[in-house]
Amino acid sequence: MRVLFFAQLKDATGCDSVELAPPAPWTGDQLWTELLRTFPKLAVHRSQARLARNWEYAPADALFSNADEVALIPPVSGG
Amino acid sequence: MKIEIQLVQEPIAGKVSLPVLDPAGAWLEFRGVVRDQEMGQKISALEYEAYPEMAEREIRRLLEGISSRHPCLAAKVVHRIGVIPAGEAAIYVGIAASHRGEAIALLAEFMDRLKQDVPIWKRRALPAAAANVSLRVSRSVQPTDSPRRLQKPLSLDEALAEIQARCPLLPAVRASLEESFGRVLRETICASGDFPDHDRSTRDGYAILQNDPSETFRLVDTLHAADWRPRELKAGEAVRIATGASLPCHNLRVVMQENVERVGDRIRVLHRESAMNVRRRGEEMRAGESILQPGTRLNAGTLALLASLGCTQLLVGPRLKVCHFTTGDEVIPSDQTPKPGQVRDSNSILIRSLLQSFAGDVVQRHLPEDFEAAKRMISILNPQPSTFDLVLVSGGASVGEKDFTRPLLESLGFEIVFSQVNVRPGRPLIFAQNGGHIAFGLPGNPLSHFVCFHLFVGNALTKLTGGRPPTFHHGTLAAMLEAEPNPRETLWPARCEEKGGKLELIPLPWNSSGDVTGLPSTTALIRVRANRGSFAAGAEVNFWPVNF
Repeated sequence: MRVLFFAQLKDATGCDSVELAPPAPWTGDQLWTELLRTFPKLAVHRSQARLARNWEYAPADALFSNADEVALIPPVSGG
Repeated sequence: MKIEIQLVQEPIAGKVSLPVLDPAGAWLEFRGVVRDQEMGQKISALEYEAYPEMAEREIRRLLEGISSRHPCLAAKVVHRIGVIPAGEAAIYVGIAASHRGEAIALLAEFMDRLKQDVPIWKRRALPAAAANVSLRVSRSVQPTDSPRRLQKPLSLDEALAEIQARCPLLPAVRASLEESFGRVLRETICASGDFPDHDRSTRDGYAILQNDPSETFRLVDTLHAADWRPRELKAGEAVRIATGASLPCHNLRVVMQENVERVGDRIRVLHRESAMNVRRRGEEMRAGESILQPGTRLNAGTLALLASLGCTQLLVGPRLKVCHFTTGDEVIPSDQTPKPGQVRDSNSILIRSLLQSFAGDVVQRHLPEDFEAAKRMISILNPQPSTFDLVLVSGGASVGEKDFTRPLLESLGFEIVFSQVNVRPGRPLIFAQNGGHIAFGLPGNPLSHFVCFHLFVGNALTKLTGGRPPTFHHGTLAAMLEAEPNPRETLWPARCEEKGGKLELIPLPWNSSGDVTGLPSTTALIRVRANRGSFAAGAEVNFWPVNF
């Protein structure tokens, strides 16, 4: 599983992506737990960041598995 | 509704082409322009970042959703990414509808939703005084009516086609055999004469007429390898002959010395082998026959053949001048001991060695991660990177690698052609062009480097020098390839072996792109198409050979 970071989350983690290997599909909470273990600085962003799975916002009950491309989407500011 | 979406790096054109739609009674166009102020500060530019694949999907999803309530005929959205100078448009939206009311409603709602949901970010404001290099570069690009689509990752085939189309064929030069190893032959080589030039013996033995039934023979001559003494042999006559020596006439056979009993100048043949033990004149090549075609890469065997033909001055592709930058403050020379967080540089020797098989001469430098410091270091290089045929930048495995390589190449005058390929490993590959000069930004980890070099850099080198472009080959899996389906096309490291005339592939264990332990045995990359899972043993697969 590749997890992508954008904008201020990229600054917080110091990298634009990370490879994770869930032994079984993760819920959003499990994914966050795993990410915070590696990148504690993400904690302050958690309330505002949304999870995307394979280029779409993930519903609250989504499961994230090995083949997914996951992204943490901080508040956007395009246009 | 007809929808067109583009994420571009260049300025959005003054006039954007729109589809011609007959019943359209309203055309609504909107441009969102970067202001010269941000949070009360004077600024010269804003830098935007996007998650391109998702941004495109979100824009499409929004337009489709809103148009179900406000039906329109067509919409075109162009969002610019990167550094956008104040006064230039960051977004263009064009909407065609039957009546203006629907178009205005759709635009208003779309722009509101875009600012909530589409993964595009204003990253930073550039203060008014600090007009930097990437700014100047972005301004030097003329607005065009069809902005290049940069942001969507290319497929592997698209990326290879783009490289083939963009790389120029460099002029051929004359070079001696000694200077030609690894270079590409640019002329057809024909045999100047028959090869071998006479019938020659393949054994130490005795030459006799092919159908001479005699049992005993009189020895009339002895021929060593260098001798050339033609004579017509008669029945009952034999010539003592050495391996490789020219036979004295046609229609002879050679009896091995082990099968002959000799007494003085007489021999008795004890046994005649079925083989003639002769290489016939012209058996390998006929005079005038074309032997080598343009596009052949000159390896040791080919050069030996050319030497034996007397071809010593060849028309070949030029030696390539390559400039290679490594980056990343965590990368240390390979003869030092890494502190926690540091890694030894394995990419320099990898690139240097790989380039040797393409007759590339490489200059290598390590750049500091600070962009301004890196530019200062480059500015004092002699010769300048812009004079090289090829510039390679190995990204650091950590912070901001994309952000660094792209402006670095732009500051060297390169235009980014594409910056992502939908493959793993090697997705953040950058390909750039500056006239006849080519550049690649390679993702930093070793396996990505290895894969990207063989697939993409090798492809460019082949085109530049006039070689035949490499292609995928067919083979059979010797063991199961266990892979999770992945949205990206995967190039799986494998070992290729020949068994019974067939190519067998043994997939190698692969955990991450940083894996270097598999590199020594990798001789093939198995193509696993997007969303395709495992392959059973015995399956037919395509692979890219990497032992050139």
